[in-house]
Amino acid sequence: MFQGLIQLGNELSVFLTPKYIFDILWSTQLGIIVGMLPGLTATMGVALMTTLTYKFASSHAVLILICMYIGAIFGGSRTAILINIPGTPANAATTVDGYPLARQGKAGYAMGLATTSSFLGSMFGMLMLAIFTPLIGNAALRFHSFEYFWLAIFGIIICGTLTAPKDPLKGWISGLFGLFVATIGMEGMHAYRRFCFGNVDLAGGIALLPAMIGVFGFSEVLIVMKQPEIRIVSSKIERVIPRLKDIIKYWKTIIRSGFIGTIIGAIPGVGEDIGAWVSYDFAKKASKEKEKFGKGSIEGLMAAETGNNAAIPGAIIPVLALAVPGSAPAAVLLGAMFIHGIRPGPLLMIENPDFVYQVVTMIFLATCAMFILGLSFIRIFVKMLFIPRQKLMPVIFSLCVIGSYALSAKMFDILVMTVFGLIGYAMKEMDYPVAPTVLGIILGDILDNNLRRSLVLTDGNILPFFTRPISLVFFLFILFTIFSRMKWFETLLNNLKVIIIKSFVREKAD
Amino acid sequence: MKDKNMNRADFFTSICLFLFGLVILILSIRMPTFRELGANPYSAPGIVPGIMGAILSFMGVILFIRSFIRQGYKIKPSSQAIKIFFKNDSIKRLLVALFLSVFYVVLLGKINYFLLTGMYIFFFVLAFEFKTKKNIFSQGKTLLFAFLEALFIAALISFVFRYLFLVRLP
Repeated sequence: MFQGLIQLGNELSVFLTPKYIFDILWSTQLGIIVGMLPGLTATMGVALMTTLTYKFASSHAVLILICMYIGAIFGGSRTAILINIPGTPANAATTVDGYPLARQGKAGYAMGLATTSSFLGSMFGMLMLAIFTPLIGNAALRFHSFEYFWLAIFGIIICGTLTAPKDPLKGWISGLFGLFVATIGMEGMHAYRRFCFGNVDLAGGIALLPAMIGVFGFSEVLIVMKQPEIRIVSSKIERVIPRLKDIIKYWKTIIRSGFIGTIIGAIPGVGEDIGAWVSYDFAKKASKEKEKFGKGSIEGLMAAETGNNAAIPGAIIPVLALAVPGSAPAAVLLGAMFIHGIRPGPLLMIENPDFVYQVVTMIFLATCAMFILGLSFIRIFVKMLFIPRQKLMPVIFSLCVIGSYALSAKMFDILVMTVFGLIGYAMKEMDYPVAPTVLGIILGDILDNNLRRSLVLTDGNILPFFTRPISLVFFLFILFTIFSRMKWFETLLNNLKVIIIKSFVREKAD
Repeated sequence: MKDKNMNRADFFTSICLFLFGLVILILSIRMPTFRELGANPYSAPGIVPGIMGAILSFMGVILFIRSFIRQGYKIKPSSQAIKIFFKNDSIKRLLVALFLSVFYVVLLGKINYFLLTGMYIFFFVLAFEFKTKKNIFSQGKTLLFAFLEALFIAALISFVFRYLFLVRLP
């Protein structure tokens, strides 16, 4: 433990130089602005920033991306509170109580509470990251091809289920589509060109970053332009600094939401929005002031903001330990790490153990910057909300184009970005979540190589996929996730519950 | 999208998805197994995409049955409905943004990057701010601001990527 603390201290001393502090401040502030502007998401911000930092040293670039990520998820709370529109999807739960507070004339106070909750959420998640990443990484060292295959399937199924709660079938279709996209291009075992139709560019495969910029950038530009214009009414902003007694009063909610947020964040592909909603839901169920929820509850606002920010370090845990992203912005972060020559995954703790501590330090610094910036310059930066979308969106699209192109100077990547933007737009219009597609593109290679490798090892025998302990656990989880969304299974579970309770009551009576 | 329209969209998508999955499956089956080179048949490149294709087709069938039960097959395209669709302000805004953006991508590499980006931003802003019914001279401010934004952003992006990141601009 002390060795870990010394390591953290060392990393902190590396980053506490004027150059790094300046970068932390501007990138976090830029993240807050990106998150604040409706239509610009954390994923888009991190993706565009990846293209702007690809010439930087690896740790420097990752630091800026983490600052952007944390700043953007927090920044979305501003719009959620002031105009009832979540700046990013992660802040949707914040609108429920944040906006009523603003209407009561407590906009500044609500923003102060959101800032403090986000700070505490991130810090809680950071501690969990520091503790659990090495543990998960060590456990993952026992994974073989069979387990990696199930991990990829598990990621797609659970991401599809949680990002499309109304219709998980669409989530699974989206994930499978992503897995298919990953198979395009030259495969690793025989160098055979799959689905290339003689096209040299396709033989190189579909690059992750242009596809992500398209799905999260271009499609958002189209969606924002399609929506009716948002009339922004300026709210009066008074006291911002929150009262300590409010924080202490709801300490249980903060810890619970931090824990839930981190756990949800760590589930592959699920992300901060679900983390916020689940935290909010749990807070409401456990609250003594249930009637205040939805009408300006401080507890509700704190639960949502703690939950979404705790999900950020949570989403980074599987990135570092398994090379599987916990959310869409984390997927871009993973892509950026690969670009910078960092190889996250189970071997990270052996090959580059310092990197985990570096990331913990980066999250710590970004969270501190977010807290300081979040409580200052509020009135100035809220004015950014008044930028008309028709002035902002062409700039975003120009950055999407040059950002896709800059990484490998290929016109084909611009085409990929445009096509995936259109696909992403169509998917969003038809209620297909796009996060599973992105996760599918990332996990496709893992699934493809490990399934074939396993089959070669067992000469086509599929039994080890179900008899190895970790594989069996994954398989049962997947089955449960799929069946739990089916009505007959729910009825069966309910009937079983009734039978067990009845037999228990009868036994007691006897 | 409303539920009724969503069912129709699902019905149409399910057919596309089924066919898409089927095509993937057929193409995967036709991929070589490299047995003649002594490779293990289970390492064939078509295995994984073939499974994906089969599952996608299966999901297409489920989506088809579901949308069919919800009467998603009741699609009656009429000229009136198409007219209403294109008169919708949201659709107009979407089509304008889409057209300008795609046109920008198509022209990339054919026209100087700085000039093209500037023109794209200028016309994008004007497409949504310029009122054709108003006198052009009364909208001088709109034109000037659009021009200045286009000039500044195009110059900034070109400079940053060309001289700081050393990227050969498209």
